[in-house]
Amino acid sequence: MKFRLPTRIDWRTPDLPIAQDDTTRFLPWLMAFMVFLAALSIAGMFVLADAARTLDRGIENTITIQVPAGENQRADEERIAGAIAMLKQMPGVAGADVLPRERVVQLLEPWLGSAARSTEIPLPWVIDVQVERANAPKAEMISALLTPYITGVQVDDHGVWLRSLLRAVHSVEWIAIIIVILIAVATAATVVFTTRAGMALHRDTIEVMHFVGAHDAYIARQFAIRASMLGFKGSLIGVALAGPALLLLTMLMGNLGFGLLPQIHLSVGVWLAIATLIPVAAAVAMVTARATVMKSLARMV
Amino acid sequence: MNDVVRFESVGLRYGLGPEVLQDVSFSLDSGSFHFLVGASGAGKSSLLRLMYLAQRPSRGYISLFGRDISTTPRHELPGLRRKIGVVFQEFRLLPHLSAFDNVALPLRVVKARESEVKRHVEELLAWVGLKDHMKARPSTLSGGQQQRVAIARAVIAKPKLLLADEPTGNVDDHIAGRLMHLFGELNKLGTSVVIATHNEALVRSSGKRVLKLADGEVRILENIADDDADEFDSVFAADRGRVLL
Repeated sequence: MKFRLPTRIDWRTPDLPIAQDDTTRFLPWLMAFMVFLAALSIAGMFVLADAARTLDRGIENTITIQVPAGENQRADEERIAGAIAMLKQMPGVAGADVLPRERVVQLLEPWLGSAARSTEIPLPWVIDVQVERANAPKAEMISALLTPYITGVQVDDHGVWLRSLLRAVHSVEWIAIIIVILIAVATAATVVFTTRAGMALHRDTIEVMHFVGAHDAYIARQFAIRASMLGFKGSLIGVALAGPALLLLTMLMGNLGFGLLPQIHLSVGVWLAIATLIPVAAAVAMVTARATVMKSLARMV
Repeated sequence: MNDVVRFESVGLRYGLGPEVLQDVSFSLDSGSFHFLVGASGAGKSSLLRLMYLAQRPSRGYISLFGRDISTTPRHELPGLRRKIGVVFQEFRLLPHLSAFDNVALPLRVVKARESEVKRHVEELLAWVGLKDHMKARPSTLSGGQQQRVAIARAVIAKPKLLLADEPTGNVDDHIAGRLMHLFGELNKLGTSVVIATHNEALVRSSGKRVLKLADGEVRILENIADDDADEFDSVFAADRGRVLL
C-alpha cells in the first residue's frame, strides 16, 4: 500500500460528518495526556544525557589522591611535589596537579560548613591526576608507588563508581526512550480505534461515496485531516501543560541543592524538542488515521 | 463489442443462503433503455447491486464497459463507478449535507472546479424543481423532493449507465413525467438506462424493452405490446392479485 500525504487541505464542509462524532470527543484529551507524558520523558532524556556527558568527562581524568595533612606545611608541599613528579612519569598519566587549598575548602564546605575554613582543622591535600582513558593506571598501582613515600595516602579511582553510575544513567535514558515509543504506540492505537469507530458509524456514507466514484484516498483524506486537527489541538494542550510542570520541577530540584543530583537545565534544545511534539503528534494521528482507513476500505467491495 | 453491461451465467447468493440469482445472462447495448420488472423479492435490487458494483457475484462473468470486473484492480473501480449513476430506492442522501452538496458530490470526488460545480448543480436542481431548496437538508424535504435530489445526484456527472430503483415511486404524475423525460433525454445523449419499477402503466406507455426477472433468471422482452404481452402480463398478475385480496 503506497502512502501519500494529502496534497491539499479541503476546508469546505467535509462529505463525512466526522466533526460531529462522539467517537472523537475525547481524542484531543487523550492526545494531550500522551503528549504531556512524552514531554516529561523527553525532558528527562535530555537531562540524563547531560548528566551522562558530565560523568563521561569525569571518567577521562578521574583519579584523585588524598594526602593527609602533616604537622609541617612546608614538608607536606615537598612530599606532594615529589609525588607529582613520580606520578607524571607513570605510563598512562597525562598530568597531575595539586588542588588549590581554596578549592579543597569549597569542596568540604557543604559538609563542614564554615568550619572548613578553620585553620585548626587539618585539611588533606588533594592531587588531581588526569589519566589517559585507554592506558589508565589502576588505583592500586598508584597506591603501591606512593605508599612508601607518603603514609596514609588514599587513591580514589572515580572511574569505578562513575562507570556504574553512567551505566545506570544510560539504562534510565533507554527507559525514557522506550516510554516515548510506547506513548507513540498508545497514541497511534487510540487513533486506530477512534478511526475504526468513526468508520463503522459512517459506513453508509462511505458506501455512497464509493458509489459516486470516490477513491479510497479521497475518503481517507477526510479522516486524516480530522485526526491531524484533533492531534494538533490535543498536543498543543499537552505541551501547554508540560511547560509549567517542567519549570516547577526544575525549580523544586534546584531548591534541593544536593551536589550529587544532576542540575536540571532546560536548554533551548529541550524546549524545541518538546515543541516539536505538536507537529509530530498531529502527523502521527494523520498518518495512522489514513493508514487505518485505507486498510479497512481495502476490505470493502 | 458495444456492450455496456454483459452478464454470463451469473449467480448470486448471500452467505450460505439459496441463490437469489441463477445463471443470469444478458447484455445491454450502449444507448439502450430498459425497464427491469419482476415480482417483489425477485432479485431486482440484487441485480442492480451487481451492476453498480456494490456486490461481487458468487459465480459467473460480469463485464461493464468492456471490462471484466473480476480482473479489474480495486483502484480502478472508482473510474468505472463514475460512469454509472445510481438512484437508490431509499435515496441514500447524506443527511448532513444540503441538497446542493449532495448533488455536487459526484463532481467533487473528481475534483471539478467549484465554479463548474455551482453552475451545473444549480441548473440541474432548478430543472428538477428544487431551485428554492438548494440549502435544505434532506430531513427537511418531502419524500418526493428527496427522490429528485437523488436523481439529480445520479445524473449530474452525465453517466454512461443510469440505474434507478423505483425512481417514480414517491412523486406525482407531473414530476414522474418530467423525470422520465430527463431519463429519455439522457438516453438520447447515449446513456444506457435501466429502471427497476413496479409501475405497469409507466412501462406500457413507454414502449421500451423490458428485462423480466423471475425465478432468479432474466429474460429480455422486446415487444410487450405484442409478442411478449402475455409474459409481461404475468409479472404484474401476481401483484394485481395481491391488491384485489
